[in-house]
Amino acid sequence: MSQEYSDYLAINVLNEQQLVSYRSLSRALKVHSNLAKQMLYEFHRKQNSKKPGSVHATYLITGTRKQQPQVATQANGVHSQESGEDGDTVMQSSPPLPSSSAPQPEEEEEDQAPISIRTVLLVKEERLEQAKATFERIMGIHVYSLAANGLSDVQSLTECNRKIAVTYASEDPLQAWKQYGTIQNPNVKRRTQRRQPPAPAPDTKSTAAKTKPAPPTTKPAILEKEASKESRDDAQDSKPASKPSSAKATPEPAAAKKPAQPKRQASNIFKSFAKTQPPKAKKQDSQGSASASPAPEAEDDVPMNDFSDEEPDADDAEEADAEETSKEPEGQSKKDRQKALEAMMEQEDEVMEDAAPDQKEEAAEHDAGAIDKIAEKAEEPKEEVNVENGRRRGRRRVIKKKTVKDEDGYLVTREEAAWESFSEDEPAPKKAKMAPAASVNKPSAGGKKGGAKPGQGNIMSFFAKK
Amino acid sequence: MSNELTTFRTLVTAFTDFLIVAIHTILYERNIYPRTAFLSARKYNFAVRQNRHPKVCEWINDAVGSVETELLKGTVDRVAVVIYTKDNKPTERFMFDVSRFPSVPTADVDTPLQRSGTDGEPLAVLPTVDMEEQFRATMGKLSSCGSNLKPLPEGCTFTVAIELKGDGQPPIGHPQAWMPVQGVANESKSRQDKTATPLRAVAAGDMVFESWIEESDPG
Repeated sequence: MSQEYSDYLAINVLNEQQLVSYRSLSRALKVHSNLAKQMLYEFHRKQNSKKPGSVHATYLITGTRKQQPQVATQANGVHSQESGEDGDTVMQSSPPLPSSSAPQPEEEEEDQAPISIRTVLLVKEERLEQAKATFERIMGIHVYSLAANGLSDVQSLTECNRKIAVTYASEDPLQAWKQYGTIQNPNVKRRTQRRQPPAPAPDTKSTAAKTKPAPPTTKPAILEKEASKESRDDAQDSKPASKPSSAKATPEPAAAKKPAQPKRQASNIFKSFAKTQPPKAKKQDSQGSASASPAPEAEDDVPMNDFSDEEPDADDAEEADAEETSKEPEGQSKKDRQKALEAMMEQEDEVMEDAAPDQKEEAAEHDAGAIDKIAEKAEEPKEEVNVENGRRRGRRRVIKKKTVKDEDGYLVTREEAAWESFSEDEPAPKKAKMAPAASVNKPSAGGKKGGAKPGQGNIMSFFAKK
Repeated sequence: MSNELTTFRTLVTAFTDFLIVAIHTILYERNIYPRTAFLSARKYNFAVRQNRHPKVCEWINDAVGSVETELLKGTVDRVAVVIYTKDNKPTERFMFDVSRFPSVPTADVDTPLQRSGTDGEPLAVLPTVDMEEQFRATMGKLSSCGSNLKPLPEGCTFTVAIELKGDGQPPIGHPQAWMPVQGVANESKSRQDKTATPLRAVAAGDMVFESWIEESDPG
């Protein structure tokens, strides 16, 4: 133990000429701070007895001083230009010793009678005696740091603390305090992760979807604005036909706004993106505006349950809406979605400004984009699809939502992949053909529809005619 | 600097920013101006000193601006901050060897740079975190150098000098920002009394330079 610290100090202070404070020493050697202070003192004494002046110390003095009225008001760690005390800094730092407290300069210039001020003072060793003389009563004094050649700028000591914060950030202060001797409030306890209801989902979502924190957090901002800006317009513009959808659209933004508000909206957005359910796409369409594709999806989240009932009605909406299913490829193309997301995020500035006037243009753009996506979608289904007798049958992976109550009592809606079988009347080739058709959404919608409601059979017949 | 399109110009600007801070620190450490004339500032997440006097700041900014012009031309070998005594004898030189900056033709100064690793994968041209870390270390070393060096006599002054590469065009013309100095003749003679203290070699992406301090006994 004793060897360790002298070796450590010899290397760092003498060889590398670094500044070592008692705090860095205690963290490096995992010892109590007070022990570290003693180690510093010992080392300083030994080295200077071997070779005077090889190691310089900076001391911390705590005590009471007589107030010197002309400098009492200089606070905030600014150089106190006291006569004869050049270079000493009255630091408003947290005192290392439990007995000391922060300086409290009193604003009593009128009163010229000397007043005792509790002071914590960092002094270089050259000025130690001088500083000690100014103290009325010294409660504590210890070595703060060691340097090889004397400290020219007291400010450089801040670097020690910064390094500690960086290097030892992984240590839990609630456990480490005993070891290091940091002052601890016995009543403090770690806050459990309490967030808004949708928020716990990010944990699952983020691991599942590998979310990038940056895009989702910016997205909430966009979402909110877009939801507010566009949903009203969209409600009128892009949903010519369906009443239920439009009716839903207006409460949607309102509902969506609320979940959109909390900071942790990553869940909302990525939930929507991770979902492969056709209703999402539809909702999206019903919301219109390319840039608002995240927005509608977020809006989908909350009224999700309601919407599942709305699907048959929403059919009409989709048909009418010539929108993007856009970046809603199926389950496995999360990566594509993410890429699309990022691309969208990069454009988000332009998108935001142009949002209102350019909805239609962007929608058109996205249709084009979506067409490609649809084509690729048709090609890429992972699920098994057997084409027989003109009927597509198979098992498909669908994302289902489950609402559970987590440990803090919050309702959490989680999405889980589930396999379900589907069968469709329409054979695959026809479905692909429909993809390039004007309403891009339909085939996917139709296909997904078939998937979602296997029992209902001939829904595809609607689309086949179109 | 999340913008990935770093050009040669941004590289040079990053270096000149560092140079400005370094000069202020040198002035503080060597007591060229009284310490009360400096205020505390923060750069690269490090506490540094900056001179408050407007003329000083202006002069430093102009000087470094001229250095930048020369750096963009790619003619600079080393940048030196020289401390002179009252008798105009250089006592100390703080050298920054920038000869290893990428040489980029003038037309390409604003072209985005790309850096590939050994197996062809793209690396960052200016890795910010790394660079800042190394700048911090250099500033730390500079700050503590003051105590290592011999104290300066009273009334010293300073200037900024550049040493050009052999094939460069000297910056002569109108308006002439640089004064040509005949320093070469004395080099061999005075080499004996010079002591060099290494400061730091910074290597972060394409930002590669070395710095050291040369002291010569004012004879």
